Parts: sequence; C-alpha cells; structure tokens
Amino acid sequence: MGYNIGMRLIEDFLAKSSTGACSNFREVADMISKVGFKIFLNVTPTVTNWSSDNKQFSLIFEENPLADFVELPDDGKAQDELWYSNIFCGVLRGCLEMVQMQVEVHFVSDILRGNDTTEMRVTLVRYIDDEMPPDDD
Amino acid sequence: MASRTPAVACIGIIGKLNNPLHISIFPTISASETDPLEFSFLLSTSLDIFEARLASGQKTDSSDFGLLQAIDENLAMYGWLTNTSVKIVIVIDMLGHTPAASPLTSETSAQRDPRSTLAAATGLRDADLKPAFRALQNAYIGLLRNPFYDPDHHSPVTAKAERRVGSTQISSKAFIREVKRIGDAWYPGVGSL
Repeated sequence: MGYNIGMRLIEDFLAKSSTGACSNFREVADMISKVGFKIFLNVTPTVTNWSSDNKQFSLIFEENPLADFVELPDDGKAQDELWYSNIFCGVLRGCLEMVQMQVEVHFVSDILRGNDTTEMRVTLVRYIDDEMPPDDD
Repeated sequence: MASRTPAVACIGIIGKLNNPLHISIFPTISASETDPLEFSFLLSTSLDIFEARLASGQKTDSSDFGLLQAIDENLAMYGWLTNTSVKIVIVIDMLGHTPAASPLTSETSAQRDPRSTLAAATGLRDADLKPAFRALQNAYIGLLRNPFYDPDHHSPVTAKAERRVGSTQISSKAFIREVKRIGDAWYPGVGSL
C-alpha cells in the first residue's frame, strides 16, 4: 500500500528539494528523515539503530500527523493486526525504488497499539542496476 | 471544612436525537449516594428546557444556555448546545467533591479558599462554566476526528434499523478519560482546561 504514491512522490521530492544523488545509505536515511518527511509531513523522524553493515536503520516518529486523533477500535483485532501508518512503508519503498534502491520497510512498533514509540525499520536489499527494458520481440 | 469549592457532579453529552452519548458521574458531597439512574433522569429533564428555550426563541447568540435549572439548594444544571444539536449538560454541586475523591492537596484548597467563599456567597456566574464547556466540546471534536469513530454507529436510528442490541453510548477510552479529566480539574474561575 502506498507503493504507487511513492513512485510519483519521488518526482515531486526531487523537484522541491533539488538535491543530487546520495553517496551512501546513511545519507539516504538522513535525506528521508530531514528532507522528505520534513517537506511532506513537516516532521523529522529520528534515524537510529543502524546495523553494523550499514544496511538497516530505524526511523522513530515522535509525532505522526497521520495518526493524530486516531484511536484504534477496541475489537481485539485492530490492536494486534493493524499497522495504521503502514502506508508510509509503501511510499518509502516506491520512492527508493525509483532511485535505484530496493528496500524492505516495515513497522516494528506503534504508539497507537500501546507501544512506547512508533518505530519503522528500513532494510536495503540491493541497489538496482539500470537495466534495459526487455525487448518486445 | 476546607474544600467547599463548587465541583462538577455529573457531565452528560446528549446527541442530536436526544440520545445519551456519554454520562460521567463524579462523587461529590450532596450526590455521593445518588444513583446513576437518577442522573440519567436529571439529564432527561434538562432536554425539555433546551426544547422550550429553542422554541421560544429565547436563545442567545452563543451556544451557551447558562443555568438550566436548580435541582435543590446544592445541585444546579448548566447547558450548552453545539451547532450540530449535540447538548452538553454539567451538573454542579455547590458543596464540592467528597474529601476522599478530591484530588486537591490541603495546600491548594487553602489557596483557593478565598475564591470558594466568594463563589458560595454570590453563586456561580455562567462564565465560570464556559471553559469547561469549551474543553468538552473540543474533546467531542477530537473524538469526531478519529477515523474509527462513526457518529452513525451511535445514533438510535441506525441502531434500530440494523436491529442492533446494546448501548449506543460512546466507548472511546481517550474521550472518556478527557471528560473525566475536565470534570476533576474544573473549579470556579478556572482559566482554561
């Protein structure tokens, strides 16, 4: 969910931020947090919990405009199964795929579910080489 | 008695179709033994007053209905009507909270003493209730902004149409907590809640 939004949003992001390509994944993380989320949601999630190979990091959301006023229904299912802000995962995946990075994104905790923090985990799978589209014939 | 500050005895939120949306009861001196059902009846009586004042065109420009009626020498009801016909009713007990339930320390109640004797002497002004009504209305607005809150789900009309059994009252924990906080925090002359 959100994947197609991300594929389009990256154009908007590049136009508004007019930044060049990042040289490593740490720069990518800072760019996502301090420029991307700042432009579109006016929040700056904290980048933290780097893995030793610099391919995984966490984004901690102190505030989340998407989830303001939201209270998950108490039906015994939503609290366990619903990641309310999951659309962010798809958006990030779509964005980064358009700039040659295949990533895996998921939420590991959410304040709405009663956790202490809202934390999203981003894992770099691989850099996508520019490949030619397959021939039609 | 140190704390004779008037306090909130009951807060009622009543929907457009005069259906009870939420009732919070706070233990106070004159109402400590009161049956919850009795407050439900009291809130129902206030509906007639809302209707009568609306029909007679007595309504002022604001949504504040001020004093609706005095029930006895200690309890009085104040009303507020939102633009969407949701009614908020606050029952005030002039004698205040029961000492055990009072969140005040002896120090703060001593500080409030001059004000409380003033209130007891002159009665409450309608303006004293305004911050509480504003805060309650904001709490209700916050509730409506929750995407999982469906106002239709709390209307008796849809409940009947769907042959649903059970209460149509608000079950949001955050909202109930906020109403309780407002009821506990209010005192005459409070600036904002």
